[in-house]
Amino acid sequence: MDTLYNLFIEPLTQPFFQKALLGGTLVAIVCGVVGCFVILRRMAFLGDALSHAMLAGVTGGYLIMQFFYGDAANAPAMLIGSLLAALITVGMIGFISRVSRVKNDTAIGIMYTGVFAAGGILASVFSHRIHVDLLHFVMGQVLAVNDTDLWVAGIVAAVVLSAVLIFYRQLQLTSFDPVMAASIGIPVLAIDYLLTTCTSLVVVSAVTMVGVILVVGLLVTPAASAYLLCDRLSRMLVVSAILGVTSVVGGLYVSLWTNIAGGAAIVAFCTVQFLAILVVAPRYGLIAGWLRRAQMVPQQLVEDVLSCVLRAGDAHPTLEEVQSRVVESRPDAVAKAVRTLTRQNFLEEENDRLQLTETGKREAQRVLRAHRLWEAYLEHVGTPETEIHAKAHQLEHVHDPAAVDYIDDKLGHPLRDPHGSEIPVDRDTVAPGKIVKVSQLREGHCATIVSVGPMAANDLLKPGTSVRLGPRQQNGNMWTVELTDGRKIALPHAAADAVTVEVQEETRNAEVGAAKSAK
Amino acid sequence: MCRPRAEKRRRRLINLRQESTATPAIEVSHLTVSYGPTPALLDVSVTIAKGTLVGVIGPNGSGKSTLIKSILGFLKPDFGTVRIFGQPADEAKGRVAYVPQRGSVDWDFPITVREVAMMGRYGHIPWWRDATREDRRIADEALDMVRMGDFRERQIGQLSGGQQQRVFMARAMAQGAEILLLDEPFAGVDAATERAILDVLDRTKAAGRTLVVVHHDLATAAEYFDALVLLKQRLYAYGPPEAVLEPELLSEVYEGKLRGFTELVKRGRGG
Ligand SMILES: Nc1ncnc2c1ncn2[C@@H]1O[C@H](COP(=O)(O)OP(=O)(O)OP(=O)(O)O)[C@@H](O)[C@H]1O
Ligand SMILES: [Mg+2]
Repeated sequence: MDTLYNLFIEPLTQPFFQKALLGGTLVAIVCGVVGCFVILRRMAFLGDALSHAMLAGVTGGYLIMQFFYGDAANAPAMLIGSLLAALITVGMIGFISRVSRVKNDTAIGIMYTGVFAAGGILASVFSHRIHVDLLHFVMGQVLAVNDTDLWVAGIVAAVVLSAVLIFYRQLQLTSFDPVMAASIGIPVLAIDYLLTTCTSLVVVSAVTMVGVILVVGLLVTPAASAYLLCDRLSRMLVVSAILGVTSVVGGLYVSLWTNIAGGAAIVAFCTVQFLAILVVAPRYGLIAGWLRRAQMVPQQLVEDVLSCVLRAGDAHPTLEEVQSRVVESRPDAVAKAVRTLTRQNFLEEENDRLQLTETGKREAQRVLRAHRLWEAYLEHVGTPETEIHAKAHQLEHVHDPAAVDYIDDKLGHPLRDPHGSEIPVDRDTVAPGKIVKVSQLREGHCATIVSVGPMAANDLLKPGTSVRLGPRQQNGNMWTVELTDGRKIALPHAAADAVTVEVQEETRNAEVGAAKSAK
Repeated sequence: MCRPRAEKRRRRLINLRQESTATPAIEVSHLTVSYGPTPALLDVSVTIAKGTLVGVIGPNGSGKSTLIKSILGFLKPDFGTVRIFGQPADEAKGRVAYVPQRGSVDWDFPITVREVAMMGRYGHIPWWRDATREDRRIADEALDMVRMGDFRERQIGQLSGGQQQRVFMARAMAQGAEILLLDEPFAGVDAATERAILDVLDRTKAAGRTLVVVHHDLATAAEYFDALVLLKQRLYAYGPPEAVLEPELLSEVYEGKLRGFTELVKRGRGG
């Protein structure tokens, strides 16, 4: 009990720790909120630039006060100086990327190193006059926060948070879709400047705590953690602010216990927090990703479920019915597959009954076609009738177009499987506008001839002629082609293979006819 | 170069369209816009009458999106003007809605379907006030209209391409604008969604609105649109689809990369 008291409660009674906590919390909240916009607009580098430019501003402010007023280390002057330096840097960056072909990120690199170097030159030329430790600005001194720093942090927090609250919609829309924002009259450029000014203010107030180098960490890391956790901006802002505060509190305790520099401890805490969230985040985390992959439904089960629903036809089955029919898999695996398929838009559920969507139907028909063709093939090679269905059920999962088309051709494009069910036509290949062979068409299809090979040489078949497919004759081994004037031409398999045609739009009606005559 | 011929054709086709006397919905004149040293659009003039459904075609990088963004007033022209119902573009704020090209949207942005639809109302909500119940109702109705009502709380990255497209359609609907600009709404959607989007377009047109649609599929262009704009930096043609979809003109603009296409076009025109 005593150790706990010494570790956690006792520091809270120390004024320096109270101030550090208060200042750090204020800074973390605004950093978190503004940081969300910074990362969504891919401006992280700009935060870095601002903090470095400030160093020149601090030096400038210090020197001016000393030269003209003899007042060394005047805090407000140094603050105003750093803010000015930040704004000048931002202005120059915008100017350079607007008037030249130099891209924004390069312009940032040029300007902030330039301004930073100017600060360095000032500091070394006047080194005999500067009696403040600039290292404080580089590393920050969160455990030595004074009242001025607190006031600055408080005012900045109030100004920035109210700006974000008032202009939330404008900030959201200009970040997400600046074109639309401009079209409804939102002054996109002014909002950009508002955000940059807020960022500058935040950076200025944060630098005294965590230092020039680490301030970007406080700006982007909590925001990035929140980005992994949230699906809407308003929540992301809140979560990001909270994660900023937890880093500050955690970091301060760690720094107190271990004597690590405050700024470093805070940002290190922040980074560890981010890495932890990266691993465990519910949707975008690594573990969630692994689980998702582990939960993936095997393709075979997907196909079994889809063809089960297809076979049920208009009697849309319930989940239990599907579970009882797909016997190869455990019921819970089937239920998972159905959920996944519904989510992926292959299945729809209405009043607990499952039906196929357009995409689902297409996929199911592909599998059904493969299944029935494999049955026809198995019969052809003399497999005992009792085994045909079971074997075809395994082979149907071999349905890559090349294999299926090959057996289709070898079997002479059969119309029915051994049980007498119709083998559906391949809708991906035989679709309006596609070029196919006459042998692939069914009764009722309309098409325009594209070319006629020597095997089918016939005066009536010429490129450009419109034809309609009549019923197959001689046990399905003779194709009939009808011309517009009603004349009919009979083609054996080899000849039907030699005529290429382009499928016409009317095909859809034709298929209804074909399906009817199949029954 | 073959510029003079294109110029002549251009003038002929434009004359076909200048009969309408009422204030045109969109009037683009001598528009020149550039991002760098070479202009993306050069001296483009197009007048679009109220209540028409106009398609914009042209190869990649021909300035189609640039034209859309200029009509929206997002890009400032180097030269030339855009007028919306007779007003300068920057005074017609909110009267033009737009559906962005898929590739230009950040699909990882933390925003839900419903929030996107609500954005359509932003132009109607003064900055000091929150959205009213009425605004929410309109946004929800727009989502129902494109049959996305069931996906309200989804983050937009977790939708299929066609669904994403429909969410942005809903946003444009909720805006209640008289002019709709759509940048490739049919890209990457299946036939059923294409039909659904087309239905919404037809209904919007029937309500007297004006639509400008960037389109890539020349085979369907004639069927879908009342008039076509053929762009490649300059305006090559503007007029009824039959006049614009001339194989000769197309192969000039698409630089012969179109051999298969011309076939399609013939079919599209019922040839
Ligand atoms: N933000 C930009 N900065 C610089 N150049 C640009 C920018 N946007 C477009 N361009 C250039 O302007 C030209 C026209 O682009 P635009 O996006 O308008 O073409 P598009 O017709 O819409 O093409 P796509 O069919 O690929 O969508 C292109 O050459 C492109 O490289
Ligand atoms: Mg484009």
